[in-house]
Amino acid sequence: MRLLLVEDEREIQSFIQENLIAAGYLVDTAEDAEAASRLSRRYSYQGMIVDLGLPDQDGIDLILQLRRSGIRVPVLILSARRSVDDRVKGLELGGDDYLTKPFAVAELLARMRNLLRRNMSSGEDVTRLRVGDLDLDILARRASRAGEVLNLSPQEFSLLECLCRNAGRTVTRSMLLTEVWGTRFQPDTNVVDVHIYRLRGKIDAPGREPMIKTLRGIGYVLAKP
Amino acid sequence: MSSRSLDPVSRSAAWRISLWATLAFAAGTLFVFLVLHRFVANDIRRRSDAWLSGEVEVLGDVAARTPKDRLYSRVVSEVAELASREVPDRQVPKKSENDSVFFLQADADGPPKLWVGAGDGAATLAAIRAAKVFKDVPRDVKVEDGRVPFRVAAVRIEDGSYIYLGLSEQDQLRVLRTLRARFIEIWLMIVLLGFVVVFYATWKMLRHVREITGTASRIGQTDLSSRVPDSGRMDEVGQLARTLNHMLDRIQNTVRQLHTITDSLAHDLRSPLTAIRGKLETVLTTDLSVDQAESIVSAIDELDRLTEFLNTSLDVAEAKADALRLSRTSIDLDELVRDMLDLYEPSMNEKGLIVQIHSAGVCRISADPALIHRVVGNLLENEVKHLPASCTVRIRLCVLDESVHLILEDDGPGFDDVVKRDRFQQRIRGRESRGHGLGLAFVQAVVRVHGGSVVAENRPEGGARLCVTLPHDGPSTLVAEGLSLT
Repeated sequence: MRLLLVEDEREIQSFIQENLIAAGYLVDTAEDAEAASRLSRRYSYQGMIVDLGLPDQDGIDLILQLRRSGIRVPVLILSARRSVDDRVKGLELGGDDYLTKPFAVAELLARMRNLLRRNMSSGEDVTRLRVGDLDLDILARRASRAGEVLNLSPQEFSLLECLCRNAGRTVTRSMLLTEVWGTRFQPDTNVVDVHIYRLRGKIDAPGREPMIKTLRGIGYVLAKP
Repeated sequence: MSSRSLDPVSRSAAWRISLWATLAFAAGTLFVFLVLHRFVANDIRRRSDAWLSGEVEVLGDVAARTPKDRLYSRVVSEVAELASREVPDRQVPKKSENDSVFFLQADADGPPKLWVGAGDGAATLAAIRAAKVFKDVPRDVKVEDGRVPFRVAAVRIEDGSYIYLGLSEQDQLRVLRTLRARFIEIWLMIVLLGFVVVFYATWKMLRHVREITGTASRIGQTDLSSRVPDSGRMDEVGQLARTLNHMLDRIQNTVRQLHTITDSLAHDLRSPLTAIRGKLETVLTTDLSVDQAESIVSAIDELDRLTEFLNTSLDVAEAKADALRLSRTSIDLDELVRDMLDLYEPSMNEKGLIVQIHSAGVCRISADPALIHRVVGNLLENEVKHLPASCTVRIRLCVLDESVHLILEDDGPGFDDVVKRDRFQQRIRGRESRGHGLGLAFVQAVVRVHGGSVVAENRPEGGARLCVTLPHDGPSTLVAEGLSLT
């Protein structure tokens, strides 16, 4: 998959690029809005990462300009600003996402993957999720493992649903906070870990293969045992 | 809010202004009328005096020339009778009897020689003598039994007796009475009309002031970008609007500069932090010994703490300068607190804390959801961090007096003395605290920017109490405590 990274700070650009390449993407880079729009006209990208503070143009204006010319790729916005522009919030509703600097590389990769997946599966209405012997009925909000119904609270179900939708991929704590609890608040304490610990106790009962793995300092991944 | 805007008419300054203006107007017109009245009264008197003087002269002349025989009294009576028909300001007499003029001839003392007129000649003569009417200068004479005073002129004839001619003042008084009655009718009407006109004009003028006040209070509560309506006129109200707008321009400019400074500070610090963090993470992916990896992970942790400290410090600084950027929407604090409690409850239970929430239901506030999430998160985090096991946290949410109260009570050790004294100062934390100590300062700053307040105290029965008050948004649905949940 080919991505366009628009970032004017060389140092930041290089480590993001390295990590994206290591994650298996093809990455083109641009240092200003002009180069970005030239490249995006020439090549077809599956996703873009755009810094808001570009030297020649505001990142938001670049995105809006690309949208007007018919380029509809999902965009991950990077911002070093303190407050999130209302226009960014508007874009987020349109299927994009944003990250404030500084961020964890894992967070960036996880969010990028999430964006690309959402973009590809858009329109498709999933009512049933199946990962290994784990079965989720989204409409009835019921989960079972190996045919055995799991007794989950609504919160735990949402948490499991979020992990299942990203099965095999890293889900960071802040992604879970946004998706399940609707907050961008970053707790000091290990509140999310406690939830995962409880959920794990219910789905990875003794004798079963554990499905939820912790990636230290990054987040969690749910995968077939 | 609703009680203040209940009845703008009854509280308007237009009443006071129009009352004073009407009073001044009424007093002025009354004064003018009094002067006019005096002038008219004097003029009427002058005319009747001239008539009296002239007639008494004629009568004296007639009396002197007429021989004093049997016909004398008849001749004089007829002359007097004729004279009475030419009385100035005379109204058609209601009675055939002539009661407006009398004629009297008498010596210096003794009974009247000749009396022509209604009433008692002797009594009139006594009154005339008491008033000492001798010359032909007319004087007022009040006859004891008569209702109306007479104006009397005198002339001395050759035989030494006096001739008196009296003219009743009733016609003059009637003219003046009519004048006064008409004036009072018209005066009351124009005073009332004047009041209405002044009230309307003042009300219209003050409407601009009310509009300015309304806009100014909205600006105070929400954003600095709106301006008060400017009528474009050069009068006081127009100048007030322009002065306010000018002031707002300056405030907005200052706030914008503050934003620029904090933004560029944040930006200039965040970019290198991002680069450092990224590089450290990249190193972490290479083959490292456990010790090396540990120190890099701890460096990343420190970086994250530094970032969080930077963000919160700038937020607190902006909030303290009333310059925090808010994107307000109407949110249900009850739902928000329950969501955050869902997040924190497992951690609290894990630590052996018991949580109870008492809420009356929907509590709408107009606030920035992201900031209020952080406020509630900070409050709950505070409890998780500082309370020892088996303590109870009680969360109460209620609407009282147009305000939403969020109260957190625990039966823990309460605030330390140091924390208690400076609990809202930056960088103060309890002995056990691991955080950067900005939690409560942040909570207070954000709540204040939303027009609320925070009170932190130790409960007399032990434990801490934190009470957050925020302005209620919309009609109060449920008051005081309701059902208890969880």
